[in-house]
Amino acid sequence: MSRRAVRIAIVITLLLYAVPGWRWLCSLNQDPPTFRLNQSFDPIDQGLPRMTQEFMSGDHGAGTVHVASICEMADGRLAASWYGGTREGARDTAIYLAVRNPGMPGSWSAPREVVNRDSASRELRRYVKKLGNPLIFTDSRNRLWLIYVTIAVGGWSGSSLNLKVSDDGGRSWTPSTRLTLSPFLNVSELVRNNPLQMSDGSLAVPIYHEFLGKFSEILWVREEDGAFSVRKTRIAGGRSFIQPSIIVRDPHRAAAFFRSCSDERAVGMATTQDAGATWSEPQHLDLPNPDAAVNALPLSGGRILLAFNESLRGRENLQLALSSDNGATWQRIARIEEDKGAEFSYPYMMQDSHGRIHLVYTWHRRRIKHVVFDEGWINLKLQGASG
Amino acid sequence: MSFAFSFLFPWLLALLMIQCVAVKVKKPPHGWRLTTILAIISGIIAFLPVRGLPLARWLIGIQANFSFPLIAVVFNKAWEHASGSRLLDRQASMASWVFGLFSGLVLYPMALGLGGFDPYAFGWGFSWLFVSLAILTIALLLIKNRFAAVLMACILGYDLNLLESQNLWDYVVDPFFVLFSFAALSTWLIRRMGKPLSD
Repeated sequence: MSRRAVRIAIVITLLLYAVPGWRWLCSLNQDPPTFRLNQSFDPIDQGLPRMTQEFMSGDHGAGTVHVASICEMADGRLAASWYGGTREGARDTAIYLAVRNPGMPGSWSAPREVVNRDSASRELRRYVKKLGNPLIFTDSRNRLWLIYVTIAVGGWSGSSLNLKVSDDGGRSWTPSTRLTLSPFLNVSELVRNNPLQMSDGSLAVPIYHEFLGKFSEILWVREEDGAFSVRKTRIAGGRSFIQPSIIVRDPHRAAAFFRSCSDERAVGMATTQDAGATWSEPQHLDLPNPDAAVNALPLSGGRILLAFNESLRGRENLQLALSSDNGATWQRIARIEEDKGAEFSYPYMMQDSHGRIHLVYTWHRRRIKHVVFDEGWINLKLQGASG
Repeated sequence: MSFAFSFLFPWLLALLMIQCVAVKVKKPPHGWRLTTILAIISGIIAFLPVRGLPLARWLIGIQANFSFPLIAVVFNKAWEHASGSRLLDRQASMASWVFGLFSGLVLYPMALGLGGFDPYAFGWGFSWLFVSLAILTIALLLIKNRFAAVLMACILGYDLNLLESQNLWDYVVDPFFVLFSFAALSTWLIRRMGKPLSD
C-alpha cells in the first residue's frame, strides 16, 4: 500500500466516523429527555368508593393464560393483552387482545389472536419456536404498541423482543420488528411492566435480562417516520432483581420496584434522580416476594400502590400495599385474592383518565381477571387497616 | 437493506463449505469459472425455501448479526480457495484474532451481567468505543495492516445500517468470531510452542 493510499484510507476512515460523530454533536444542543408526568384525571364517579371484578378471558380449561397488561385508548376504550396456549412455552401459544367499551360491565370483547408462532415467523422472516410475555400500551400519539417475546431456541433465556404498532385501536397492526438488544445472539431480553412517556415523545420501557446474569434494564424507543431507533441502559447488574416496575415522582425522579430472584426473598427498590440515566443500588424492602412479579402505581399525594404476592414461597394470594413515604414503609390495605394451592400472579395496574385503577392478573393460570377500583376505595381500605 | 444483506454471510458460508468439500475430495476449487458455478449453487442453497423460509433465514433465526470481521474471515478463505491468494495476510489474520478475542473479553462478561457496567451501552451512539475503533483503524493503516480495511467496513456498514442491530458492537464482534479467534490463536500458540527455538 503506497503512502498516498494510506492517507486516502485515513481520510475515508475519519469521514466514516464523522457521520455518527456529527449526529452526536447535534444531539448536544438538545436537553436530555425527562419523564412526562401522568395527565390530571377527569373523575366521573364522584359517588361512593367502588370496586368491581370481572373476567376478561374465557376459561382456558386445561390450557394456560398468563402475563396480562392493560391500557386506555384515546376513545376511552380499554385494551388488554396476554398470552395463552395449552401450557406455558407451548408452541401453540399466541398473543391475545381484548377490548372493553367504557362504563359497560362485562363488555370485554372476545379475545382474538394478534400474533401466533406462524404469523410472527412470517413477519420476522425467521424461525420462531414459541411466543411469550406481551406488553400493550399507547404512545403520545394515541397509537397502540405491542412489545412481545419470541424464542427461537431454548427456554425463556432465549427470548428476544419484537414490536408492533396499531393506528386503529388494534384492528390492524404493522408487521413485527425485531429489536436487537443483546450482543450475545440477541437473547435473554424480556418485557413485563408499564412503559413511561418521555418529554421528547420517546418511550422508556422497563425490560430485564435473564441468562448468566439476571438484571433490570430500560429500553429507550423512539419512532421517526416509521423507523424505530432503540438503545438500552442498565438499572442494576447482578443476579437478583428483574421485572422492574417504575413509577414517576417528577420529571427527574422515579422509583423502580423489582421481583427478587435471590435467596433474600423480598421486593427490591431503586431510585433515579436523573430521569433514568443512573440508578441507586437496589435495596430489599420489608415486603416478601416469592420470586414473582410485582407492579407499582403512583397515586395522588405522592402515595405508591404496590400489588404483590405476600408470601416467601407461593403465589397463593394477591395483596395491595400502600406507601406514603416514598417506599420506606408499607401498609397492607387489601388482599384481593387468597386460595391455598392456587395461583394469582403477574399483577399489572393502570389508572385511566377518570382516575379509576385497573388491575389485571393471572387467575389460576386459566383466566385473566380485571379488578377496577378508585382512590376512594383505597382510602376506605386504608381507614379500615388503620382502625 | 439489512434484509438483503442478511443473505451475504449464509451465502459465503455455503460457498466455503462446498469449497472445503471439494478440497476433501481432492478437487481443489481453483479458477473463476468453477468459483462462479459454486457461487451460483451456494446462492441457490441460501435461497432454498424450507418450510416457507429461505435456508439462509433459518441461520438468521439463530444469529441475525454476523459481524463484519467474521464475514471477512469467511470471504477471505473462500477467496483463497478460488484464487490461491489471501486478502488477509498473516499479520492481518493475527490482528483479527487478537481483536476478536480482546473484544469478546471486554464485551461479553460485563454485557451478560458481570458487574454493573455495561460496555454494550456504548455502541448505541458516538462514544469512546467509536473513538477507540477509529484510532485503532488509523494505527493499523499506518503500519499497513490489512485488517484496517475490515474495521473500515464495520463503520461503513454501521453508517449504512446494513445489520439489523443499531449497535456498533454487533458490527465488530459476534460470539462465533470470538470463538473462531480463540481457536485460531490457541492453535497458533500451540504450534509455536511445539516448534524448536531457532538461534
